[in-house]
Amino acid sequence: MYRARDVMQKRFHTLSPHMTIAEAIEHFKRASEEAHRRVFGMIVKDEAGRLVGMLSMYDVLLLIRPKHTQVWGIMTDIEVNGLFEVIAERAQSVHVEDLMTTDVITIKPDTHVLHILDIMIKKHIRRLPVVNEGIIEGMVYLSDLFYFLVDNLSPQGGGTH
Amino acid sequence: MDEATQKSVLSDATVKEAMRVQVLSLSAASPINHGIRQLIKYKSNAFLVNGEGGAPVGVVSKTDIIGAYYAGLPIESPLGDIMVSPPMFCSPGDSLESALDTMRSQRIYRLYVRNEASNEVVGALAYPDIVGLLYGYCRSCDRSVMNRKKNRAEDPDEMRIRVKDVMTESVVWSHDDDNLSQIMEELSEHRCGAVLIRNRSRRPISVISKTDLILAYARGIQSEAPARNVLASSRVISCQDSTFLEDAIRKMILSDLQRLFAWSEIPENIVGVISLSDAARVRSGSCHACISSRIRVE
Repeated sequence: MYRARDVMQKRFHTLSPHMTIAEAIEHFKRASEEAHRRVFGMIVKDEAGRLVGMLSMYDVLLLIRPKHTQVWGIMTDIEVNGLFEVIAERAQSVHVEDLMTTDVITIKPDTHVLHILDIMIKKHIRRLPVVNEGIIEGMVYLSDLFYFLVDNLSPQGGGTH
Repeated sequence: MDEATQKSVLSDATVKEAMRVQVLSLSAASPINHGIRQLIKYKSNAFLVNGEGGAPVGVVSKTDIIGAYYAGLPIESPLGDIMVSPPMFCSPGDSLESALDTMRSQRIYRLYVRNEASNEVVGALAYPDIVGLLYGYCRSCDRSVMNRKKNRAEDPDEMRIRVKDVMTESVVWSHDDDNLSQIMEELSEHRCGAVLIRNRSRRPISVISKTDLILAYARGIQSEAPARNVLASSRVISCQDSTFLEDAIRKMILSDLQRLFAWSEIPENIVGVISLSDAARVRSGSCHACISSRIRVE
């Protein structure tokens, strides 16, 4: 039987709740470079290593999105000079803890892969932290789960488990 | 024709044209710190609070959260403990003028929009949303300064409203060694959204807004802490008092600012403040061609 421990990534980047969003963005870039793929979300750990939240690319994009978007459509002569400075300034003053989602769904190392699949589909989530007695042991990503299942359910991959 | 009976550019406008459709709502059982995160994430000033059955039972604004901070309520307290109840509603088909009348008479800054047939909340209306609608009218107006090529016979700059014509001339100041409770008292007493902070040489060095205060609450900073502990990067964003109102509005909209401080002669000489709410309440457009569309302020 395939379990979370068989599909999880054991090397993953984390954020600290007190980091600024500007620092978190740098971590996103670094994590993407090291993983050779775009990282869409990162878990947030406190000093004791406990999971305290999750910060997604979507959360950061919400901060970047201008508030009065309904007016932008009628402004044909938008001057963006200075706009990105304001965004950068905001990213310096807002912390990861101010934006992160604290209600994080986790799984255990022995959670079955089909149960993981069910959680991801029902909850519309792409990544699940694997937690064992409060300690984060790994991350299961939707893409890894997809290729794991495809490889193992295909005739060449067996599919008898 | 007196002002009350004048036909306004808003006369035919409905709530539906100006409202925003994204409405933030949270459970009354959710803790205050969760509410703060949602306000920051969605750049909102308030959210609806739903009761056990999911029906809206109240509203929590940044002001209510600052009240909880000032009173020393634990950050984990449920939103139901600090909400203002009941929420005020209007309908999408209501005239914008009647909605504004309700906001003025009830002294509130937003109305939620409820579809009467389905009883579903479909939007929210606040002063900055009305600025957006009016800005659109202004841009399409033949006499607008933004369409100046059509009006070469007139001197467009003479027609334009400047920040000093409509700004609030009283600015609330605090010192960087004042504590956060004192700043909260200033905000409450003057019913304003931010205070300018100056140092001992009376030079303006930063701004503390309601957003900064709710973040301080969420981060566990004691309300007795000095203002300098939360100054972060909130620099004073200002414009000259002779700036055209249209340019100031555009700067606020594009930069997600609620207000601009106005200076005269030198940037250190702050003489007033203008907010998007002021811009909405004081007048509709940005030039004298638009006097018929003035929104009454009481």
